Amino acid sequence: MKTVDIIERIEGEAHLKLDWKDGIVSNSQIKFLNFRGFEYILEGKPALDALVYTPRICGICGQAHLLAAVNALENIYENANIKLEVTQKAKLLRELGLAIEIIDSHIKWFYMFIMPDIVSLSSSDYSQYNPLKGSKWLRANHKAGEVLKALAIIGGQWPHTSYMVPGGVMSDPTLIDIATIENYIDQTIMYYEDNIIGESLDNYLSFNSVSSIDNLKADLGDFSKISFENNLNNIGRSYDRHLVISDMLGFKSGKLKHINTSKININKIKEFDEYTFNAKAKKQQAKKYTWAKTVKYDNDFYETGPLSRALVNNRKFIKAIHKEFKDSAYTRVMARMDELGFLLNKCKKIIRSINISEDSFIKPEIKLKDIESATAYGSVEAARGALLHTVEIQNGKIKKYDVTTPTVWNLGPGDDVTPGVAQKAINGSTTTKEAKIILRSFDVCSVCTTH
Amino acid sequence: MRTKPKVLWLQAVTCNGNTHSLLCANPNRLELFFNSFDLIYHPSLTTNSNLLDVINSKIKIDYLLIEGAITSNTKFFSIHNHSVKDLLAQLVLQSKFIISVGSCASYGGIHKKFELNKDISGVKKSIDKKVLQKLKHAVINLTGCPVHPEWILQTMFILKAQGKISLDEENRPIEIYSTLAHHGCTRNEYFEWKVESKTFGTKEGCLFYDQGCRGPMTKSSCNKILWNEVNSKTRAGVPCIGCTETDFPRENMLETKKHIGIPFETPLGISKRAYLSITGVAKTFRIDRLRTKLIPDE
Repeated sequence: MKTVDIIERIEGEAHLKLDWKDGIVSNSQIKFLNFRGFEYILEGKPALDALVYTPRICGICGQAHLLAAVNALENIYENANIKLEVTQKAKLLRELGLAIEIIDSHIKWFYMFIMPDIVSLSSSDYSQYNPLKGSKWLRANHKAGEVLKALAIIGGQWPHTSYMVPGGVMSDPTLIDIATIENYIDQTIMYYEDNIIGESLDNYLSFNSVSSIDNLKADLGDFSKISFENNLNNIGRSYDRHLVISDMLGFKSGKLKHINTSKININKIKEFDEYTFNAKAKKQQAKKYTWAKTVKYDNDFYETGPLSRALVNNRKFIKAIHKEFKDSAYTRVMARMDELGFLLNKCKKIIRSINISEDSFIKPEIKLKDIESATAYGSVEAARGALLHTVEIQNGKIKKYDVTTPTVWNLGPGDDVTPGVAQKAINGSTTTKEAKIILRSFDVCSVCTTH
Repeated sequence: MRTKPKVLWLQAVTCNGNTHSLLCANPNRLELFFNSFDLIYHPSLTTNSNLLDVINSKIKIDYLLIEGAITSNTKFFSIHNHSVKDLLAQLVLQSKFIISVGSCASYGGIHKKFELNKDISGVKKSIDKKVLQKLKHAVINLTGCPVHPEWILQTMFILKAQGKISLDEENRPIEIYSTLAHHGCTRNEYFEWKVESKTFGTKEGCLFYDQGCRGPMTKSSCNKILWNEVNSKTRAGVPCIGCTETDFPRENMLETKKHIGIPFETPLGISKRAYLSITGVAKTFRIDRLRTKLIPDE
């Protein structure tokens, strides 16, 4: 038997095709059928215009794309041996913007994309989580909007600002701005404490054993309770191999495959298109079923995202949960919400380290326009995981642009022998609902996956 | 109890940025919106209905909001295995007001630049001409990449109260798009006296002369009502890229095209002669206050 379900309430749309054998999913395909051609759009454009185009790849993680583009363009200077100075202040203001956007994304994902499915598993009354009207849904959206104000102070607006630029940032915040940003972060911490973990952030950050799950009261307590009632701690396991490609926001790059290693070689990342539609083909080969590419590190599939970051970086509470429940759907969701606390704490540290008397921007000695040719890359840890932009420029114009998104790592098709990360996690499911929740646990963003 | 007007949100070729912009609206205003209208379907938000059921039920939709560009090309884009152009055609027949939310829905926006797809356009251009003529209210375009949440709410509440809204030549609500992005910019005095921002990353100076700012030729209320209720790009130091105008995206958006040291394009409706005369006069004065830092270094 085969079934196809259309998945909504993600960023965009996906089709989940399941092959069933004796009531168990024997094989799965995640199909992303929409393609906007950003890499094609960027060809021939002036290099700096990438700062306007790339954030528009995704309405929820545009700043991650902006930073990846800026890192790639700055890497051009580096590869061409041209001096480029970026102050610590500018670097911190970029990281702060990225952190705030991830915080917004994690809050919205939990309340808008995950919890509606989770509470539907329970017969108890969880109407507070109802979309558009439920008090918890409304409060989550309100608080996500509040923290974004902090980003608007340095970026002018959200979504879709281009405030980061090779050489620094475009804005020059005052002490009042910095204090106001800290106020918004503090308000978000209060919200996290009162509504998500039901515990002070300081206490929460000291959690280091699986028994601490019992201390979770508020909404993460609801999530845990329903998860254990429905076995979410035992479903959704994949390869349990994890990859972090950037050092930023307190995350360190590294990989976990049996053992934790900190060495990452970007050149070992390879994309394949065996199952991926060809944009220029008139008729697609029968094998091809999605616009998502396949990506591997050193010829292996790796998961990326908050769970991977927590494990590679030895965050104690998630390590303990993972030790007990491995890379289950439950662990994945917990890692994402744990990262929210980690990042709120990190934001406080970033804010305190900003020295406003430093320059926001130092003009590069040479314009990108005047660089004959270069190839470069920029990487970022985005809300959903490892993001990589690779750019080739010629006479100041973009010759080739390649974007490898976190969701390609997690949701892209496997190869002839082995399934991709999410496919592997979904295979073995006993109901469609279960398969859907596992898929959601990866934080599906179809607009990013296919771009 | 009177039934609330029904709203359906269709996502076409998009980044979902307009959805996220709407969610950033003032929370009290957004709650009022949810209480005043019945959002029967939004692919990212609602849980109790799916798009094909809504279409098959032939239910009357009061407000059809479309986010994203329209294409008939199912190789690159489909929803529930249908082309979005076909779905739009169905929904238009069921709907009273049709509102393009954002630049992509209004005229194709950024996605029009994807040349492998030969059929990408805005909502109005995608609707059959005969159907278009029969509409009780012209298609409303809310340009912007993304649209400001208030532009959606203001339009919806005016339509709910008045049943109609006056539009400009681009089918945009006149009141919202009557002013320029420039109006209300805190850097206006620098513009008046032709004091440029020497580089990015300064609180001082106007971004029109070097950084490519399109504020003086872009219709929007960005600096009048502010973004996320706290700021605007130009106030922060980020040039306006003119995303509410139909020539967006242009080339070299982060620098000013110049001719003998003067911006090649002059502010909207100001002749080159008038602009050059005023510039010449303004530049003969050296106003020290405008050439020193707003907040002195300690």
